Amino acid sequence: MTRLACFYVPMFALAARLRSEPDLLHEAVGIVEGNGNNAHIVAATRRARQKGIHPGLSLTQARSLLPKLIARGRDAECERTAQEALLEVAESFSPRVEDAGEGVVFLDVMGMERHFVDAMSDVGRTLQSDISSSRTRESDLRTPEHLLARAAIRACEAVSLPARVGIAASKLAARVAAELPKSPNVIAPGEERTFLAPLPLTRLSPELEAAAMLQRFGLSSIGDLARLPESEIASRLGEIGRELHWAARGIDPRPLMPRAMPPEFREGMELEWPLVALEPFLFIANAALDRLAKRMEIQGFACKRLEFTLTLDPDGYDARGIDLPAPTRDVKTMLTLMRLDLEKTPPGAPVVGFSFVAHPDKPRRAQLSLFGPTAMSPEKLATTIAKLVALLGDGRVGMPMTVDGHLPERFAISDFDPPPPPDVRRKPSRAHGLLAVRTFRPPIAIEVTTRETADKETQIASIRTIANSLPPSTPHSTKRIEVGATIEIAGTVRICSGPWRVEEGWWSDRPDVREYWDVELERGGVYRLFRGVSEDWFVDARYEM
Amino acid sequence: MVESALRPLPDPPPIPPGEHDAIRNLRASLEASIASKLTSGSELIRALARQRREEILPTTIEPLDALLGGGLSRGKMTEIAGRGTRFSIVIAALAAATSIGEAAALIDAGDCFDPQLAEAAGVDLQRLLWARPRTMKQMVTAAEMLGATGFQLVIVDMATRRPPGRRVPDAAWVRLARVAESHGATILVSAPYALTGTTSEAMILAYAAHARWLGRGNAPRVLAGIETRLKLEKHRRMRPGQSVSVFFRCEEAIRGGRESGVGSRIQNPNTSSPSASQLQGRDPLKAFSDSRLPTCDTRKAS
Repeated sequence: MTRLACFYVPMFALAARLRSEPDLLHEAVGIVEGNGNNAHIVAATRRARQKGIHPGLSLTQARSLLPKLIARGRDAECERTAQEALLEVAESFSPRVEDAGEGVVFLDVMGMERHFVDAMSDVGRTLQSDISSSRTRESDLRTPEHLLARAAIRACEAVSLPARVGIAASKLAARVAAELPKSPNVIAPGEERTFLAPLPLTRLSPELEAAAMLQRFGLSSIGDLARLPESEIASRLGEIGRELHWAARGIDPRPLMPRAMPPEFREGMELEWPLVALEPFLFIANAALDRLAKRMEIQGFACKRLEFTLTLDPDGYDARGIDLPAPTRDVKTMLTLMRLDLEKTPPGAPVVGFSFVAHPDKPRRAQLSLFGPTAMSPEKLATTIAKLVALLGDGRVGMPMTVDGHLPERFAISDFDPPPPPDVRRKPSRAHGLLAVRTFRPPIAIEVTTRETADKETQIASIRTIANSLPPSTPHSTKRIEVGATIEIAGTVRICSGPWRVEEGWWSDRPDVREYWDVELERGGVYRLFRGVSEDWFVDARYEM
Repeated sequence: MVESALRPLPDPPPIPPGEHDAIRNLRASLEASIASKLTSGSELIRALARQRREEILPTTIEPLDALLGGGLSRGKMTEIAGRGTRFSIVIAALAAATSIGEAAALIDAGDCFDPQLAEAAGVDLQRLLWARPRTMKQMVTAAEMLGATGFQLVIVDMATRRPPGRRVPDAAWVRLARVAESHGATILVSAPYALTGTTSEAMILAYAAHARWLGRGNAPRVLAGIETRLKLEKHRRMRPGQSVSVFFRCEEAIRGGRESGVGSRIQNPNTSSPSASQLQGRDPLKAFSDSRLPTCDTRKAS
């Protein structure tokens, strides 16, 4: 026995638009399809409908009825993202989900109701209070499937989609049940025919003209059709008639066709007017990112990479991508990164639409300990690192790493992913009492004066910084970070120690051979100097004084 | 694995009576001996958080810890200013925090941190976040963000001079102190001059240091280490004015010039300058291990 659920969003074009522009929810809004004289209403809000606006009216007619009608064109991007959101909600209830398009989703809920058996007692109490206040029908308390359907409605509302839910043994019955105004509707197994019988024939297949022909035969309800012999209907209407007869009897041979899980999440919108300033765009982008984050949360994902494409006026696109240092769902972080990227390189033309694509990844998880050092929330840590990268730049935040080799300026920086703290607090290990040096990156070029001692030994007599010079053979650094450009290191050397030779890459064509010296200046300060292969001198560290 | 599973957990901290009516009623209905052991999860977490805040993070530099009454106060901001060996203290504090499994952050405004040396000093690099800001504003903002994220130790280190950019307003330090207090983070500010004003719990002044060399006269020398004097300039719970001397050893001196944390320093055979062993006439490692240089020399200065 199969149990299928159908999620149905009535007036999907309108619902998708209102999801992107929730401020219009209580306004008189009409969704228009077509251009110029062909523009006609396809859906309208309750407030507009109360004023006589209904689907099929031309825009001119609608305006004559309601001059203040807010008209919005059908937005394919909005509808596509709304459909994806609906599918993602369905996937949080079942792994087998079929995309039927236009706000309709089928899912296999066979056995899924067992998740709600335990909740029956808890939720039942809530529903009892609802019944007493006449908000819920008593039938809602009957089975776990009702609880499942109600949970699905709440989940759809969380992504701003007013869905209706029907559960039955076939796709057709589930869809008809979902289309009924009062939701949810759960059709017990084997009762499909009884459920469908009193309904009008148009419910079966509104798009088929065969329904109109059957009405001419004097058949008004689905039950009337089901009572007729199948062969008689087939001889008059052909294969369509046979299918209709099966449908009327609650038989739907079409199987569920599950869709593959998409590798990414999309949100987007076509704007009514071109945007030329950043702030209005970020205002709209904030709402879209918020929807994106909610969808990822439903699936238990976080965003690892955010790609966004801006549609420019009059034509053209601007596509960008932001790699997040760690998976996150924090909208503020993503918006900050987007702002920084757009401020750095503006699109150069007004924006008339956008599309965001989030590449999902599993968020970091950690088990917190009561007795050990407090562990950081992985989500919070990821967000902070993303913000720090935005603030300080790439390669300036992370976990320091040592690199194999003898040259002291070598280092690497990688993603900060600390191991979990120990379960029980430990005592700190005793300090090594080591003297730290402050490294200059890159080394500072200097002039050195040498002298010979009585023992014919070479000693350093004085040093002086070479103004505005960078070392020609700076091995592993690209720019000066230290305020070293203005560092003045000069003076007579009081004591020097060296040379200490460091050799690296002796097997290569250009080995790096250096002679290191420690010098103390008479005016104070102990420095580490080296002379490279090119006989140039550099200061690469200062022993702190 | 079995051993770790059977390892006894420490006793929970003393838990003050709960305020929730349900817990109070439940306790009242039980025997006194049982009721005294009853606690709710939220009470336990609050008590553990309070206990953590009352703790002190030792730097494991004994003279400095003695000066600060045990170490760096959690939930407070401590400042070290002056021309002394501030960076060595910073590295020691990082080593202490990471060795007990805590996450630490170093905001290195001078970009002068050497991971190889830090690892040799005992810093667990896997638990260290290294941020390299370019301006004062970035430096303070990063500290505030990291403190609020849950890092147990956040160190802000300025090199010998101020990073470019405008001065940060005093309110920034007030905010930073509040972040430390609200999140139980230990914040250590190391700068060449006093920055935090009245917002810090304690302030240590590091006086200009003196280098100590091995070898005398015209003989070649080896840098043994640097000695500095630290003075307690201000403390909210202790009497200021005390000072101690701290000696930090040079790694090359410890290892006798044979091997260092930054690579092997090989004596140049082409030069006539003798090695450390020749200098002392014996094995360099033994020479320096016997040189009676204390790791941390505590001497009360007047």
